[in-house]
Amino acid sequence: MNENKPEEKSLPALRPSTDILERADGYWVYMDMPGVDRKDLVLDLRESELAVSGKTSVMASDKERFLEVQFGSGEYRQTIALSDLVNRAGIKATLKNGVLELFLPKVEQIKPRRIEITAD
Amino acid sequence: MVLDFNTFYAFPDRFDRLVEEFLRPAYGDRRMAYPPLNFSEDEENLYVRAEIPGAEMNDLEITLADKTLLIKGERKPEQGKYFRQERPAGAFQRVVRLNVPVDRDKVRAGLVNGILTVTLPKSEDIKPRRVSIDVK
Repeated sequence: MNENKPEEKSLPALRPSTDILERADGYWVYMDMPGVDRKDLVLDLRESELAVSGKTSVMASDKERFLEVQFGSGEYRQTIALSDLVNRAGIKATLKNGVLELFLPKVEQIKPRRIEITAD
Repeated sequence: MVLDFNTFYAFPDRFDRLVEEFLRPAYGDRRMAYPPLNFSEDEENLYVRAEIPGAEMNDLEITLADKTLLIKGERKPEQGKYFRQERPAGAFQRVVRLNVPVDRDKVRAGLVNGILTVTLPKSEDIKPRRVSIDVK
C-alpha cells in the first residue's frame, strides 16, 4: 500500500484539515487543500479506502525574499476509510478555491430490517 | 490518522504516519493566528499571501490603512451532523504592518486555489536606483 515514489519524499507531507459530516443523502467530506490545483489532485479509490493527495503549486518567484513564512508548499495527503455504508460508484469530488468536497452517498438498502415477532 | 466511519481494519501505513508526526514542517505552529501568512518582497513589490481555502473574493475585506494591511473575512461552517470538524470556522482578521511605503493606487489582490495574494508595489522614491557613472 505504501507506494511513495522517491521524489515525493522531498516535499513535506501536509495533512489537510478535514470535516466529515452527515446529511440526509450521505456523507460529505471537506478538506482544506490551499494551493493545490485541480490537475495536481489525485484521488485513488482502493478496495476499502479513498486516498487523496495533492501537491501545492509554487506561487512565489525566485527573486522574492521572505520576511515571514507561516505556510509552505508540500503535499497534502489524507485517507478516508470507506465503510459498507457508502455507495462507491456514486462518489463525487469537487475542488473549488482550495477546498476538496467529497460526496459519499449512502447505500440504499442499509436500513436494518426489523423482524416483528408476534405472539399468539 | 485514518478517518474511519465504522469499520475497523489494520492500517498498512500506520508507521509512516507516525514518522510524519515527528517530521512536521517548521511552520507547525501555524494555528496560532488565522489565516497563516507569508510576507515577502522583491525590488518592485511587497507580497502578502494567505491561506484562506474556500473563500471567494467577495467574502474578504481587504483594507489598506496608513502603514498596515488589514485582511478580514469569515469562514462559514457547513451544515450537517458533524463526525469530525478540523477546519476553522468563524470570523478572522489579520493585520500586516508594512515596512516600506507603497504605491496605494496600484495594490492588487488575487485569489487562486484558496491562496490570497496581495501585491503592493513599493513607492517609486524608495526603489533602489542604479546610476551609471562613467569612469574616465
